[in-house]
Parts: sequence; C-alpha cells; structure tokens
Amino acid sequence: MASSSPPPPPPTLEDEISHLQTKINKLNSLLSLQTSTLLAAPSTRQLIPASSPLLTVSDSQLSHNQSSLYRSCATLTLFRARDPDPNAVDSGSILGLRIEVLSRTKFLRPYYVLLNRPYPSSKHLRVHRHTIPPCIPLSGLAGRYLPAPGKGKKKSQQDLARFAKTLRREVNRYHHRMGVVADLRKAAGLTGRDKEERGGHGDGDGDGELVDISPADAEVKTVTFEWADGRLGRLVMGDDGEVLKLVVLGGDAGGRDRETGRELLGGAVNVEEVIRRLASGA
Amino acid sequence: MSRISVPTTARLPSTLRVEPSNPTVIKILNRLSRPSLISLALEWLDENHLPLAVPYLRDDEDDGQDENDFYPPETSPGALQEEYRSLQARKGSKREIIDRITTGDWRHGLTLYQLAMADLQYLYDHPTSQKWSAYRIVPLKPASDPEGDENPQEVDRTSLVVPPFHPSVFLKSLQTQILPDIKAHYQFDRHKTLALMILRIFILDSPYSTNLSLSSSFDSSRTFYIAFPDASPHVYLSRPQTVGAASAAASSGGEAKSLRNLIVEGIPKALSRPRQRFALTSTSLTTRNLEEMLERRGSARTNSAGGGWSVYADEKVKESPLQTVLPSPPLSEDGVGKEGGKRRRGKEEAGLITQAERKVEQAMKRARLVAKARFGETAKVGDGKGVERVDLVLEDKFPDFSDDEDEAAGEGNREGRLRRREPGGPSVRGGGVEMDLDRMDVDEQDDQREMDAVGSDWRPFVRLTFHGSHVFAGIRQLVECGVIDGEKMPGWMTGEEGVTMGAVRNGRIRGHKGSGL
Repeated sequence: MASSSPPPPPPTLEDEISHLQTKINKLNSLLSLQTSTLLAAPSTRQLIPASSPLLTVSDSQLSHNQSSLYRSCATLTLFRARDPDPNAVDSGSILGLRIEVLSRTKFLRPYYVLLNRPYPSSKHLRVHRHTIPPCIPLSGLAGRYLPAPGKGKKKSQQDLARFAKTLRREVNRYHHRMGVVADLRKAAGLTGRDKEERGGHGDGDGDGELVDISPADAEVKTVTFEWADGRLGRLVMGDDGEVLKLVVLGGDAGGRDRETGRELLGGAVNVEEVIRRLASGA
Repeated sequence: MSRISVPTTARLPSTLRVEPSNPTVIKILNRLSRPSLISLALEWLDENHLPLAVPYLRDDEDDGQDENDFYPPETSPGALQEEYRSLQARKGSKREIIDRITTGDWRHGLTLYQLAMADLQYLYDHPTSQKWSAYRIVPLKPASDPEGDENPQEVDRTSLVVPPFHPSVFLKSLQTQILPDIKAHYQFDRHKTLALMILRIFILDSPYSTNLSLSSSFDSSRTFYIAFPDASPHVYLSRPQTVGAASAAASSGGEAKSLRNLIVEGIPKALSRPRQRFALTSTSLTTRNLEEMLERRGSARTNSAGGGWSVYADEKVKESPLQTVLPSPPLSEDGVGKEGGKRRRGKEEAGLITQAERKVEQAMKRARLVAKARFGETAKVGDGKGVERVDLVLEDKFPDFSDDEDEAAGEGNREGRLRRREPGGPSVRGGGVEMDLDRMDVDEQDDQREMDAVGSDWRPFVRLTFHGSHVFAGIRQLVECGVIDGEKMPGWMTGEEGVTMGAVRNGRIRGHKGSGL
C-alpha cells in the first residue's frame, strides 16, 4: 500500500512496521481497558443473560475491582498462595501479606510477606518468604508479634494484626524518609536539572553552598550534608521526621561549626521545616 | 628508617615501603596483566594517591645521571605519567612493566598502600579469585550481669535495631581489638561495579611497624578481605586461600588462620557500641560470586524470595491497584505463544507434524513452564549469579516402600504419619554430621521436637555435592529438558533457600533458612 505513493523522505519498512506495532499495542491496551470497564458496569451486567460465559468473566472482573479498591485504600491486604515445593509444610498453604507503598504519586511494587504454619501441633504462623528490604527490622517484629509456640505451660500468643500494622508503618516510614531526602535535595537545588542551571550562571557564588545531601545509613535515618568548602554535616531523624541531632564539622577553624548548624536548622524541629527553609533560602 | 624499633599498638602506616626485591612484591605484581599494571601505575601517579605512592624522581639540580641506569628517573610525576601513557599505547610484555616498576620508578620500594591497590586490582580483574562467606550481623541482648562473663550472650530476637556501619569508626575500633604482637594494614576501597565496600586486611606477624619487619619474606596468604554490602546487615568474609607447597601450607596455613581468626573475632566487637552489642552468625552461604552474594544477602527485595518466589520480588512487574484490567494469571500463554500455536496448528493440518511429535513438543513446553514456576526468573545460565558448590546432607528416613499409597496421599498426611509412629525413644544421632548441624542450626527448638518424634527410623548417611559453574541453572536446564520432574522436585533443588550448605530433613532444609530471619 505504502509503495504506491513514496513520500519525499522515504521511511524504511522497519520504521513503518514498528510504528504500526506500537499502534496495535496501544489499541490493544485501550481495548482491554474498555472491556474491563464495560464488564464491571452494572448496566452491562443486567444485559448479560444468566447462562452466558461472559457472566463468569464479569464476576472475576468485579472481584478484581473490589480487591484493587481494598489494596489502594487499605494498603494492607491478605491473599492465599501455594508453595510449589512438594514437601512444603501444611500442604503448601501460604498466607500472603501485601503492603502497598505510595511514593511520588505512584504505587510501587507491593512488599510481600508470605507466612506458613510449620509447627505440627499449633496454628502459629511463621514468616516463610518475604520481599521486605533488610533495612526494615522484620526479624525483630516477627520475634515480637509472631513468636514460635512455647513449650509446655509457656504458651505464646501471636498477633498477626499488630505485626502487619507495625510492619506497614515501618515500611511507610522508610519510604517517607527517602522522600524527605529527595525533597531536601530538591529544595537545595541538587537535582539534575537545577544543578545544571546553577552551573550555568557561575561557579564562584560562594563556598557556603550545599553540594550534596545523601542518606548516610541503611535506614535513611542519618542524612549527610556536604558544603562546597568541605564542611560536613550529619542530621539524625526520628521516627516521625523530627530532628534529633545535627552536627556540622569543618569550616575555617576546624572542629565543630555551630554557626552553620544553627543557620541550617534555624530553630526547626522537623525535617519538613528544614526543607521549607532550604527552599525559601535558595 | 627509624633506628629503634618499638612495639606499638598502632596499625601499619600506608607509607611503609617494602623492598622491590621482596618475593611477595614480585608475586603480587606478577599476578596482574600488562594493561592492569599500567593503569595501576597511572593510578599511583594520580594526585589523589601520589602522597602514598611517591615514585623515585631526579632532582632538577642534580645533573649527574648514571649512564648505566636502564630506567633513568624522571623529574616529575607528570612526566612519568606521560611515560606510562606511551607504554599503554605500545605493545610489549608484562615483564617490561614489572621491571620498570621494581628497578626503575619505585626502586626505593613500594608502599603498603601500593601493594594493597595492586591486590585489589587483582580482585577486580579476577572477581572469582576469592571465596566469600556471608555472615549476618545480629543484635545481642544487653548483658544482664555486666561483670560476669559466665552467661553466654544471647541473640536478641525482638530487637528492632538495624546495625549501623561507619567505615572509619569501624576501623578505629577494630584496631583496638587487635593485640599488639601482630600488625595489620587496612585499606578500604569502593567496589567499582557492585554496591560494596571492600576492606583489605594484611596481617604481619611482627610487633614492629618499621621497614625492618617487612624486609623478610612474608606470606601473602595473610591477606584477607571483608566486604560490606550497602544497606544490608551482612558481612562477607573471604576465606583464607591455601597457597604454596602442601608442607608449607600445613604449618603457615594454620598460623595464618589463627591470625585471621583474631581479626574475625574483632569484627563484631568493632561493630558494637556501648550498650549495643552485635555478633556474627553464619548464613551458610559460601560462593565466589559476589553478585550472587548481593542478590541473596544484599539490600534488595530478593534476599528471602529465591527460586519461584522471585516473582514477588521482581520490581519490573507492574502491579498497581489502580490498574483495572484483569491481570492474566502468571505462566499463561501470551501473544507470542498464541501465534506459535496458530502456526503449529497450520502445520498440523498440512500433515507436517505427527501425533507423537506433538506430544513430545507439549511435554517439552510443559517442562519449561514447570521450570518457570519453580525457578521464576532466577537460575538462568547467563545471569552471572551462580553458586559453584552446594553441599547437602540428607537426613530423611529411608523410603519405606511398603506404604506407597500413604506416600502418594501427599504431604497433607505428614502429621498423621508422625502420630502413627511409636513416640519417643532415644534419638540416634550420628557423629560428624551432627557436629556440622549443630554449628549451622539456628532454630534448635522446633526442629528438635520434630526430631524426637521421628528419631528412631533408619536414616542412611547421604551427602550430596553439586558442583559446577552455576549449579541451580544446571538443575533448571535439567528440568527444562524433562530429565528431572519439576513438579516432584524438592524445594531445596531450586536454590530458593539461598544456602550452599545445609541439612535436609522431611524434604526441606532445616532451620527455615529461606526466610532469612
């Protein structure tokens, strides 16, 4: 078809094919989106006859919508899974815990904790597999809220709800702390584009400028500030984002530089206030 | 050289020079390739490293050049850099560069810093040259009786502390742990491609930190490495290598081992702080592959989601709750599969495929799908994340063929079977294996109970060793070919537990290794 009227810059056949391919993909995804919307609509359900196989598809679509709703609103959901290992305990039954994390207006891949029941004489759960990063003290939480069944009279109680709640809070706090560090960088003009702009209008605008802000430990509770003249600051964040400690070292005299520390903090007790100060200052 | 040697507790300074004729220097340099040697020399001449790697230079005033000098000294590091750049462009032998370094530009000796850099360069050139074992840093309970040492320190299972790690603080406190009669030189380096911090420790069996103590030949096997992965409560220790003749290794190897043990014992103490104690526990993973190490004991989600569970850890999969489109179940045929199916059907109609061929093809396809279900995205041949050796001890009861139907009834009946057996009886436990197990076991309690219940059956001593460049990828290939039945294959063959040593009981690796808790 295309060969009948060759345009001036002749597009190669490969270009055309890839272009059409992306178009097909786009239309396909649009089609499936429309299908899912139509299938879940109450008016469509009334039209589907009871004997139609469409009804089962519609049912599964509805249940998917409901679970999505719970996932996005409650952000802590349970599901069932199966262990493919033929020797798995409890015939491979797995209880999954799904923790959603919302970061920068997007849902990240959820974190999973998969629990099973390995104890022959009790219904106690145990963490079987998980995808929680090691900077979150999962083992400590499991030790506190999901202890192994005690021997004899010493019975131990498990509290799955508290375990899940605390874990979810820890995961969210971790992501918030990471977000805070990103915001600090942004407020100080250290993100990619801002930096280039600043580099454009002169390098020599003072040694008092921040050149780097980065997390200094695994839990992102400590943040390192670096100034152009070699001063180095450490800020320790609390669980709720409060500033616990701040120290700045270096400067002209060497040793501790309380002046810069005060300047950076300006009476702020919360990291968000530091971000606001940095943003207004820059 | 200082005139008096005084034993001190200080570490060996990086500027300490070793005679270039020392066999260890020759050995370290000889291991490197020509391009690595040149880039190393250029790095030494870089202004960041220059103070610790000063070359032999000629004074400007002093014009009396030695005619016989084969490598006339240059006047400045810059000129020397030019020299090495020109060597880089030229072709030649490795010998030439080593000669130039040892009898020319660094004829007055190479500093310990330079030797450390050369050693680390070798490590980067040959990433599998070291065998690493992963250890987990676990918090200990605060001692109830601070004075008495009699109660062994207990692991605090409910602590929420994530062990912090600060390189300089760590080094300082590690130095205080080391006795004054041995000397060590430390060098930190950031791994070039992986999220790791590598600490090279070189131990010298001498109380003096002077050139004289370095003049005799020292053993390079007294070098070992500690790797600290970013944001992960683990430490990887390199295994001491047995180099040299067997007879020499027997005596000096043991000695080097005990020196190493001294330092290893110091590591948890150096990580600890007042009122916050840590200990190292083995995680039964030993491999030469640092990438695999980071996958299993690193900072990402994949630590405790190996094998088929890796589908939960794959960050590429989009799984937003805002997506309303019904997700296709995993392992379903996607578009490509459908097309293939269409093509095959076409061929079938044309009579190109016989019934038998189709059956074989279907079986192959099923085997591939099963492999995908059991291994997920892990254990692929080209992924570079392979362990090279897996040792397992099978502790299972010898299969009882009389109650076949019971076996066929599946795992669900396991508890029932246990109850049927006569309870109790002294558990018969073997010697050597058990020692191994005691060492590895972290979860004595519940395993113990299981053991008591089934202790009186005949359990043959079976030890399995898998060996290869990528053990689990090999098993995956066998499953894909249909040699191993992927559905009946026990879970420890998928590598999902993330261990290279373990004991299998009831078809599972003991101690719940896979959860990483």
